Amino acid sequence: MSTETPAAAPANFDLFSFLAKFAPLIFLLVLMGVFALLEPRFLSPLNLFNVMRQVSIYGLLAIGMTFVILTRGIDLSVGSLLAFAGLVAAAVAKGGFESRFAVGTAAEAAGYGWFLAMLAALAVGVVCGGLQGLAITKLKVPPFVVTLGGMSAFRGAALLFAGGGPVSGFDDAYRWWGQGYIGPIPVPVVIFAIAAIIAAIALRYTRFGRNVYAVGGNPEAARLSGLDVDRITLSVYVIIGFMAGLGGFVLSARLNSAEAVAGLTYELTVIAGVVIGGTSLFGGIGTIFGTVIGTLLIGVLLNGLVLNNVSSYVQQIIIGVIIVLAVAFDTFAKSRRKRA
Amino acid sequence: MPRSSRRLLLASAFALGLCLPVTGLHAQEIRVLTSVPSLGFPFFVHMMKELQAEGAALGVATVESDGQNSTPKQTADVEAAVIQGLDGIVISPSDVNAMAPAIQTAVENGVPVVTIDRRVDGVPGILAHVGADNVKGGEAQGEWIKANYPDGARIVNLQGQPGASPAIDRNQGVHNALDGDAKYEFIVEQTANFARDQGLAVTESILAGLDSPPDVIVAANDDMALGAVEAIKARGMGDQIAVIGFDALPEALAAVRDGVLAGTVEQFPGGQSRKAMQIMVEHLKDGKAPEAEVVLLTPIVITADNIDEAERLGELN
Repeated sequence: MSTETPAAAPANFDLFSFLAKFAPLIFLLVLMGVFALLEPRFLSPLNLFNVMRQVSIYGLLAIGMTFVILTRGIDLSVGSLLAFAGLVAAAVAKGGFESRFAVGTAAEAAGYGWFLAMLAALAVGVVCGGLQGLAITKLKVPPFVVTLGGMSAFRGAALLFAGGGPVSGFDDAYRWWGQGYIGPIPVPVVIFAIAAIIAAIALRYTRFGRNVYAVGGNPEAARLSGLDVDRITLSVYVIIGFMAGLGGFVLSARLNSAEAVAGLTYELTVIAGVVIGGTSLFGGIGTIFGTVIGTLLIGVLLNGLVLNNVSSYVQQIIIGVIIVLAVAFDTFAKSRRKRA
Repeated sequence: MPRSSRRLLLASAFALGLCLPVTGLHAQEIRVLTSVPSLGFPFFVHMMKELQAEGAALGVATVESDGQNSTPKQTADVEAAVIQGLDGIVISPSDVNAMAPAIQTAVENGVPVVTIDRRVDGVPGILAHVGADNVKGGEAQGEWIKANYPDGARIVNLQGQPGASPAIDRNQGVHNALDGDAKYEFIVEQTANFARDQGLAVTESILAGLDSPPDVIVAANDDMALGAVEAIKARGMGDQIAVIGFDALPEALAAVRDGVLAGTVEQFPGGQSRKAMQIMVEHLKDGKAPEAEVVLLTPIVITADNIDEAERLGELN
């Protein structure tokens, strides 16, 4: 919230300041209330953990996307990169493409274990993200175009790498990263939470974080005040690449399978989550907290509609309308606060 | 989509097109365009491989075209094939209506066309269609449920991408087989968009919302079925719920073999592809009209008992 104007004094409670600050959260709670009324099982711990686990992959990408959008950038390649990184991890874990379909009991092919697999996925993410960052900063190609290219190229790389087919069946230690629990909490949720906390601290309390806001708020002013804008821009694409690598690894562990068609249209869901969370597409405004809420909102929406057995045609309409309403509510609250 | 990015997409599609492998380009050789909706899906990769293998076996050159899930891209490939003067087109259309104009252009220019899997109506002069009826495949799933649950079943139906013709037809087939019999109840019907992650997420949500687990989950493709299997495993309900998929992908066959998946539907895409190529080459070499304009292979349910009949079993190692 570092970019918010200071809230009004408690003695003089300002409803619209409060709304502006917590608009996405309020919208989320209202939505959850509605679903809970329609289907009480929505609030069962099992279902709530399901929702959190379902959004954790989107969430990891959305954290990276927040950094990128804060600098006025965009990354359309996250879904493709996630698929590519996941496949690389899977191939490392299985020691190649032998017995790539071993799903059931005969799963555990001798490979290199989850640790090297995860490192490989992260490396793929960081390298590909870095390449995109270099293209944006050195070749001066707009992020939209670079990552549109990346979306196609990484998908192609994933298909080429695995010959179009999936790689499935991992050992217990690998699957733990997607299917396991720490206490009652699913592992992907823990990973998402840790990543969110680190990212929130980095954005709010470090010089790097302030620089990210500065670059997005006004790149020219940032440059004139001596910031290395290119380096900061490059690093946000490395961050989102890292997140896509991590997401690809966790998703493959969760599905017990990596495939080249994984993560199709994830970029749109992720961008929607970030924007619903109050991050401005014009850069400089936004928080990780908002992104977490925005991503949860999308997860709640998807889950709640299924739980209520809403027709899939109607679902698409409702999701579209609610995305617009959520952002409209946020914008309305903020504009009223400024006027007040 | 902004104009500039659309131009970029077109340019990249064109650049990719330049890299299309043209095997054995000799002046006298018969050249056939082999086009599938998207090489992003293993189903079509398999189809393409079979087309190329059959082409090679029959001594004709094949030119590969990947529709990249885009009707304009596939249209452009077909138009380019006409310009290049290729001798024939064997195509699995990405969209039966939207691809009709391009196919009509080819036919009007004297390039014979054989369609696979999805049939284009309303274009006169198509040499032949080879396919497996998706409705029949869905009916096979329904009949399997009837045979294995003679006393009735509570069914969860994971549907494909809304609006896609295989999704509509397969869903229709399942309902054809089971509707009108009160013993068989569709307790939840939801889309998971043919995707594995959504198959898992949607199944999780469904199971969380039910008092007792369903007897059967019927999925419109194997990806969604395999996703559902992971959700069921996580809840420890593997013994209570049978999952049946569609497409007989190698991964699904492995799951059937290992007893994780109850069954899947085999549509013989390779057999369709080979048959289509044979019809095309016979026509090009002898000018022969095919025996039948429409050849339909009957889809079957593959279970652990008849897994040997699956086309792609050999891809399991």
